Amino acid sequence: MGLLTRTKEEVPCVVTISHRFEELSAHVKFTDGSVVGPGDSVLVHGAEIMAAFGEMVEEERMATITRASTVERMWTRATGDFEFMELCEFSFSDEVMA
Amino acid sequence: MNVQAKHSSGAATAEEAIALQEALPPLTNEDATAVAMQNTLLTPRFYTTDFDEMDKIDVTPVREDWDKLIAQMVSDPNKGHFKKNADWDEVDWDGMEPKLKREFIDFLISSCTAEFSGCVLYKEMKRRGSNPDITQLFQLMARDEARHAGFINDALREAGIAVNLGFLTQSKKYTYFRPKFIYYATYLSEKIGYARYITIFRHLEKHPEHRFHPIFKWFEEWCNDEFSHGEAFALLLKTDPKLTQSFSNKLWIKFFLTAVYSTMYVRDHQRPEFHKALGVDPDWYAHEVFTKTSVLTGQIYPLMLDIEHPRWQKNLERMQVANVQIANAKKAGGIGGFIGKTLGSAKAAFAFVSLYTIPAIKHDVPQETLMKPAY
Repeated sequence: MGLLTRTKEEVPCVVTISHRFEELSAHVKFTDGSVVGPGDSVLVHGAEIMAAFGEMVEEERMATITRASTVERMWTRATGDFEFMELCEFSFSDEVMA
Repeated sequence: MNVQAKHSSGAATAEEAIALQEALPPLTNEDATAVAMQNTLLTPRFYTTDFDEMDKIDVTPVREDWDKLIAQMVSDPNKGHFKKNADWDEVDWDGMEPKLKREFIDFLISSCTAEFSGCVLYKEMKRRGSNPDITQLFQLMARDEARHAGFINDALREAGIAVNLGFLTQSKKYTYFRPKFIYYATYLSEKIGYARYITIFRHLEKHPEHRFHPIFKWFEEWCNDEFSHGEAFALLLKTDPKLTQSFSNKLWIKFFLTAVYSTMYVRDHQRPEFHKALGVDPDWYAHEVFTKTSVLTGQIYPLMLDIEHPRWQKNLERMQVANVQIANAKKAGGIGGFIGKTLGSAKAAFAFVSLYTIPAIKHDVPQETLMKPAY
């Protein structure tokens, strides 16, 4: 991890998407034990994973973790706290209705 | 715009409802377009925190209450609740006034996103933590949030809105939450969530003619889940008195209260038709919710905001006006838009400082922390 440079890692992961009446959730688990830190970005490779309603889909994929630079990491640590509002049901949603 | 011939809302039992949904043809992207389902991409945030610090939490000082609460959550009293039964009346989406429909759908989507984000956060805590008390709690809370999200999702489907979970294949940045901020923010979001849902539920009990959608009938048990999540965070906060008693942490608590209350005020005022249909005056509603939340959070927070102070309402209104200005400026774009946005942001910041500097009401925190949902 450089002061200003980012590094990339390719890691295997399992994506689980539950699109069911009793559970709506989506998670990514890195199977090699990689962990994500503040400011890192994760991109799961391949096509969009769609679960039809009533389904739970689990797929093994590769993902790229882009490690934040030291500066970014510090910045995220210092400012990330202000995004907490999203947990409130009345938070501002910025989803786009297509 | 419903795709299904027979919807699960018509099912007599939960099993039948689930079976009906599972019998639906798989909905691919193309199908979704073909039946003109509107597609909305959920955009939850991803969080990370100091997991080592979280693992160090020791619930020994609150063990007795903790075990009681966890046992109650494990017994899952609401397990059978989030099912559609005969109470789920038919909704006339096509006959709904378009503005109301838009605001109501926006309400459902932001509720769904909040539950979903809560679930993602809690699940991450569960997975990366190693303290068995803490991971169990987060597992239980993730279960509830996923269930709520699924229930709202179903209501959205009925309205012809397909939630798209494809966000995982887009680059996602992980933000950071210090553990103590997770406690302050989630504690407050769970308690204010309870206050919001129960206030609407009680209002509609008295005025059933305003219940324009059946989902409101589920708010009572729903908010009991929020209530018990809040109780768990209250106990976590109690394990370390510094979290609520030190000078700087009191400032943080006041900050979170002010930020959450004022956001709620501004946001609710953006949905005039929704509140009109419910027969609720958003100013009255905000006051009710703040009053209840202050009483509830008094279980662990040593201060309450003075919402009767003359500067309170005035600056909430200023913030609301500033927010409209920012939204209009964003729409306008260009240099004028940029100036408008900057001015609006300055006004909002000024109003926030005015709210934050209202002296808080100090109070003694009771010995007994756990409460019963009594509203």
